[in-house]
Amino acid sequence: MTAFRIAATSFFSTNHETPADMLANRERQLIPPAFKLLVGRARRFTSLVTQMHVEVLGALPIDPATHPVCVFATVHGEIQTADQMIADFRDNSIVSSARFALSVHNSPSGVYSVATANTAPTTTLTGDNALAGGWLEAALTVAEVGKPVLLSIADEPVPEVFHGPGETVGFAAGFLLAPASSMVGRAAELVIAPGESDVDPRHVLATLTDPGRAATMLVLGRIGPGSVLQLRLSP
Amino acid sequence: MSTGHAITGAAVANCLGADNRTAFDAAFTGLEAFSPAAAFFDFPFPTVLGVLPAYATTHDDRLDCAITRLATVALASVRQIRPQVSAAVQRWGAPRVAYVFASSTGGLEETERSVAPSPRMPVPAAGYRYRNHGIDATSPAIMKHLGIAGVQLAISTACSSSFKGLASAMRLIDQDLADAVVVGSADSLCRTTVFGFHSLGLTAPTATQPFSRDRAGISLGEGSAYILIERGGELTAPHALAYVAGVGAASDAFHHTSPHPEGLGGQLCMRQAIDRAGVGPNDIDFVSAHGTGTKLNDAAEAVAVNRVFERRIPLTATKSLTGHTLGSAGLTSLVLALESLRRQAIPATLRASAPDEALDVALVTQVMHAKIRHAIVNAFGFGGSNASVVVRAA
Repeated sequence: MTAFRIAATSFFSTNHETPADMLANRERQLIPPAFKLLVGRARRFTSLVTQMHVEVLGALPIDPATHPVCVFATVHGEIQTADQMIADFRDNSIVSSARFALSVHNSPSGVYSVATANTAPTTTLTGDNALAGGWLEAALTVAEVGKPVLLSIADEPVPEVFHGPGETVGFAAGFLLAPASSMVGRAAELVIAPGESDVDPRHVLATLTDPGRAATMLVLGRIGPGSVLQLRLSP
Repeated sequence: MSTGHAITGAAVANCLGADNRTAFDAAFTGLEAFSPAAAFFDFPFPTVLGVLPAYATTHDDRLDCAITRLATVALASVRQIRPQVSAAVQRWGAPRVAYVFASSTGGLEETERSVAPSPRMPVPAAGYRYRNHGIDATSPAIMKHLGIAGVQLAISTACSSSFKGLASAMRLIDQDLADAVVVGSADSLCRTTVFGFHSLGLTAPTATQPFSRDRAGISLGEGSAYILIERGGELTAPHALAYVAGVGAASDAFHHTSPHPEGLGGQLCMRQAIDRAGVGPNDIDFVSAHGTGTKLNDAAEAVAVNRVFERRIPLTATKSLTGHTLGSAGLTSLVLALESLRRQAIPATLRASAPDEALDVALVTQVMHAKIRHAIVNAFGFGGSNASVVVRAA
C-alpha cells in the first residue's frame, strides 16, 4: 500500500548493548548516549529522550547537509522534564527557563536541526500509537518528497509520580528510509489491516534493528479504531 | 502535495467565544476578551490570559473519556463541526474519514492537579490516570463521538502543531489513505506554560500588543480549532468554505526558543506554501501573522514577510484577540482567515495605536474591508519549527 525501502537502521538502549541483548533481556548497567552531535550547553541541558533521538540519528549514514526531512515519534515526549517543571513551580513558584525551553515534544527535532544546520521540515508524532503513526508519517513523506527521510523513535522512562507504564529502560531506534524506486537496503511496505493489537515498541524496534533477525511482518500497533499498521518486509 | 483540498467545516472556541458566531463577531468588532490571570490561578507576577468562557456540556455531546480541561476546550469546537463531519461520513464512509489531533500541552493541566494540587487546582475528583496526560488522551472518544473510523494521528510540535497536523492530513488524502480528515487542535491553560513563558521573560504584564513599539510579550490563551478537509472535486465543491491551497514547512536551525533574526524558517515556509498554491506573492491579499507580541518574534517575522512579499502587504495579528493558544494557534488564525474570506474583511490587531515603525509592516489597526482571494497564515514554534498555509476562497 505504501512502499519504500529501509536503507539503514540504528539502535540505542540505556540498559542493553545490542538489540539482541534487549530481545534476550540481557541488561547491563546504565549506558549514557555518546553525544556525537551535541556539544557544550546542548549536552548539559538536553534530556535523555532528546539525547537518544540525536544519538540514533547521528549513527545513520546520511549527510545532514543534504537536508533530509526528519520524522520523530515518541509516546511520552519530554516526560521527565515535565515532572521537573511541575516540581519547580510547586516547590518554588518558578520554572527553570532552561528546562522550559527544552520541554516541548519537538525539542529533539529542534536540537537536531540546530546541531546539523538542517532547515528541512520536521514533525513529531506522539500518543499511544506513536510508533505506528511515526512509521506511517515517515513513509508518506518519503513518497511525497521522493528523497530519503529520517525516522527517529525514542522514549525515556516515565517518572513514578505519574503512575505511568512503569518502564525503566530508555530506548531509541533510527531509520533511514528511501524511495521505493531506489535500490538500497530492504524493500518494505506498510499495510492497514483489521485488528486491535497493542504492541511493545521496544520489542518491535529491537527486532527491526537486530541484524540477526529477518522478520518479514511486524505489527506496529493501532492506527485507527479496529485497525493496525503492519510493516511487511522483503526476506 | 495537492493544492486543492476543500475545507468543508470549521469551528473555533477561545476567549472570544465558545462558538463560531460569538467568536467571529467579537473578532471583527475588536472585543477585548482577556481576563486577569487570577481568573485561572494566582500567579506571583502580573499577566493576563485568554480564558474560554464556561459552557455547559449537554448529555448529547459528552465524550466517552475523562472530561479534563483539555477535553472541555476541544469539545467546544467538536460539537460545532459534528454536522459537517456526519455529512462527510455519508459521502465517504466512516473508515475513510481520518482524525489528526494536534496540541502542545495535551492533558498536562490534569497532571499538574495530581502532582501539584492546590486549593484552586485540586486533584481530579475521579482520580488521576496517566492516560489523561497524553496529547491523544481525547482522540478515541472524539472519533467515536463524531462517528469516524479512519486513521488516527497525534502531532505535537509546539506552536506549529496544528499546521503540522494539517500537513499530515493533506498527505493522508494525497496518498489515498483517506478522503476526508478532521484536523483538530486544542490547548488548555496550565500552570507550566504560564510559569515557563514567564521564566523566559516572554509574558506581557498587560494585554499583548503585537508589532507595536511598546510590545512586551505574549498573552497566553486557551482554545480549540477544528477544520474538516475533503478531497477536492465535484462531490465536495458545493460544500467548500474555502480551499487549502498550499502548506509549507521549514526549520530555523538556529535556536530552541529564539527565532532566526531574519526569520529564515518563516521565509522558507511562506515561499513553499505560496509555490504549492500555484500563485505568486502578489496574489496573496493579507498575512495573518504568528505575531506573538515578543520583541524578537515580531521583528523576525516582519523581516521574513518583507523579504517574501517585497511590498507592504496588509498584516494582522489575531493573538491580540485570542491570546496565544499554543498548539492550536495556527488553526485558530486559519479559521479566522476563513471568516475573512467570507466577510471580505481583515480583523484589526488590537492595541496597535503605536505600531513599531522600524518593523515596516502594514499593520491592520482597524477592520479593513478588501477584495480577498488568498490569505497566508503563519505558525512558528519552539525548536525553530515553522509552517505556513495559504487558503483560497471557494
